[in-house]
Amino acid sequence: MKFGKRLKQHVQETLPGWRDMYLNYKDLKKLVRLISSSLEYGKSEAEFVYLLNNEIEKFNVFFMEQEEDFIIRHKELQQRIKRVNESEQSSEGEYEEEMAKIRKDMVDFHGEMVLLVNYSNINYTGMAKILKKYDKQTGGLLRLPFIQKVLEQPFFTTELISKLIKECETTMDVLFPTVVVTEEMNDAMIMMAGEGIFRNTVAALVTMKEMRKGSSTQSHFSLPALNLPDSEIIRAFQLKSPIPII
Amino acid sequence: MGRELMPQNFTALPSVPSTNGAVGHIFSSSSSGMSSDLHFSSVPSQSSGVLQSTTSIPYMKENNNSAWSTDSLPDFLDFPQDTPIQPSNLEHSNTAICTIPSEDLGKQNDWQDWADQLITEDDAMTPDWNEILIDTNLADPEPKMTYHVGGSSTNSMQIQPPIPASSGEACIPLTPTPSSCGNSGSHSKPRMRWTPELHEAFVEAVNKLGGSERATPKGVLKQMKVEGLTIYHVKSHLQKYRTARYRPEPSSEGPSERKTSVEDFSSLELKTGLEITEALRLQMEVQKRLHEQLEIQRNLQLRIEEQGRYLQMMFEKQCKSGINNLKPSSSTIDSTNETPNSPGKTQLASLQVDPTEDPNQPTDADSQPSKCAKVNE
Repeated sequence: MKFGKRLKQHVQETLPGWRDMYLNYKDLKKLVRLISSSLEYGKSEAEFVYLLNNEIEKFNVFFMEQEEDFIIRHKELQQRIKRVNESEQSSEGEYEEEMAKIRKDMVDFHGEMVLLVNYSNINYTGMAKILKKYDKQTGGLLRLPFIQKVLEQPFFTTELISKLIKECETTMDVLFPTVVVTEEMNDAMIMMAGEGIFRNTVAALVTMKEMRKGSSTQSHFSLPALNLPDSEIIRAFQLKSPIPII
Repeated sequence: MGRELMPQNFTALPSVPSTNGAVGHIFSSSSSGMSSDLHFSSVPSQSSGVLQSTTSIPYMKENNNSAWSTDSLPDFLDFPQDTPIQPSNLEHSNTAICTIPSEDLGKQNDWQDWADQLITEDDAMTPDWNEILIDTNLADPEPKMTYHVGGSSTNSMQIQPPIPASSGEACIPLTPTPSSCGNSGSHSKPRMRWTPELHEAFVEAVNKLGGSERATPKGVLKQMKVEGLTIYHVKSHLQKYRTARYRPEPSSEGPSERKTSVEDFSSLELKTGLEITEALRLQMEVQKRLHEQLEIQRNLQLRIEEQGRYLQMMFEKQCKSGINNLKPSSSTIDSTNETPNSPGKTQLASLQVDPTEDPNQPTDADSQPSKCAKVNE
C-alpha cells in the first residue's frame, strides 16, 4: 500500500484544481483483487481495460488543457518582458518593480510546469504498478502491450513542456543573474518559501524519493533509489512549512 | 457513432464486385476494433459516397423501387474514375493520414462549412444528394470527394508533414482517442494539441484582426488557414488567450494564497528585497532539481519498457523455435531451458535482423508466450 499511501498524500497536498485529476489507484486495486477471485475472466479484463482507458482519457484531457494554458502564458511572459524593456517612459523604480513581478511570475510559472510533468510521471508510475498487479494476480498478460500504448499518450509525451521549462530557465539566467547568499538570508528564505507552488515542488521531490525506496517487489523493471544531495535543505523546508508566515 | 451503421449499410458490399481491393481491406480493418474516430478516416474515397448516403438511404429507397442494396451500390463503387484520390493512397489510410491532393486545399473553407453541416445533420444538404442519386452515373463526385477528404483528415490527423498551400507551420496534431471499441460514443471529438508554432500563428491572426477583444473565432480561423483546425478549437483558445492577457499569471493556487505572499512581500519589501530575490532563486533551484529528476526517471521508464519488449520478443522466439525444433534435434530443447545466451548466435542474429514480427500477437499458441512471460518477470 506504499504507493497508494504516497499517492493519496500527494493528492491531498497538491494544487486544488488538480486533486481530481490523478489516477484512481485505490479503486483500481480493489477491482484487480475482485477480478482475481472472479471466474468471468474475459469480461473482467474488458471492464478493467475500459476503466484504464477512461483514466487515460482523463489524464490526456487535463494535461492538454494545461499544456495549452502554459503555451499561452509562456508567450505572454515573453511579451511582458519585451514591453518592459522597450518602454522608455518608465522610471528606474517602475522598471525594477515590474521586473520583480515578472520574475516572481516566471518562477511560479516554471514551478507549475514542473508540477505538471510530475503529475504525468506519478500517473504513469501508478499505471505501471496497477498493470503489474493485474498480471500478477490474474495471471494475465496485459501489462506489456498496454504500457506500450500508455507510453505514446499525450499525457506522457512531455517533451514540449520540458522544452518550455528549459526556455524559462534560460530566460531567468539572462534576466536575473545570481547573487551570493549569506547565512541570515538562508533563514529568511526558509520562512518565506514555505507555501504555494514551492511547497508543492518540495513535497513532490520528497514523495519521489520515498516512492523509489527499495520495495519488496523490486525487480529489473523497477527504478533505482533516488539520491538527492540537497536532501538536508529539503528536509528543513518540510519541517518549516507548517509554520505560518508572520 | 457511425460504427453501428456500418454493418447495416455495407451488408451488400461483399457481394458486389469491387473495383478496388482496398474496399475489402477497409471493411476488415473497421471490424478489428479501431476507435470510432479512426474508422472514419479509414473509409476510402470510393466508398465515401456510400458512407455519405447513410443518412440519405431513405431517399434511395424512394427513388429506386427495385432492391437498392444490390443495384445502386455498384453504381457508387463504379463512379470515381476522375476522383482526385488515387487507390494507392487507400492502402495506408488506416492509421496514417490520407494524403491530401493539393487541389482540395483550395476548398478548405467550403469543407469546413460542410463539416459543420454534417455534424449538425443539416437537412438542407440532402436535396443535393437527392439530385446526385437520380443521376446514376454520379458524374460529379468532386464536392463529395473533397468533403470526405476534409472530413477524414479532421478526424484522423496526427502529426503531419506540412502540406503545400497551408500555413508554414506543421499542421495540427490531432490525437485519436486511446480507447478501443469498447468506448465508442464517449469520444466524439478528437483532442486538439496546441503547439507554440500554432499559437504564434494564432496570435498573428488575432493581431491582424485588431486584437483579442475585436477578433472573432471565425475570423481568426479563416486568417490562420490551418488544415484541420475547427472553430471550436479557436473559440476555446481565444477564450483562454483573453483570460491570460487581462489577468496576467493567474496561478492555480487560488486567490487567498496569492494575497498572503504579496502582502508579506510588500511589508518586507524595503528591507528584504534581496531576500526575496534569493528566495526566488532557491525556489527555482528546487524546481530545476525536480524537473531534472523527472526527466531522468522518465528516460529510465522508457528504457525499462523497451528492454521488456525486447526480452519478451526474444523469449517468444525462443519458445517458438524450441517447440518447432522438437523433432529434428533434442539439443535445442536443452538450449531453450537455459539462459538466453545459449541458443546459437545465428538465432540471436536472426532475431535482431527480423523486426517485422510483432511480439505481442496472440496468433501463435497462447501457452507459449505466457510461459515465456512468466520466466521474463
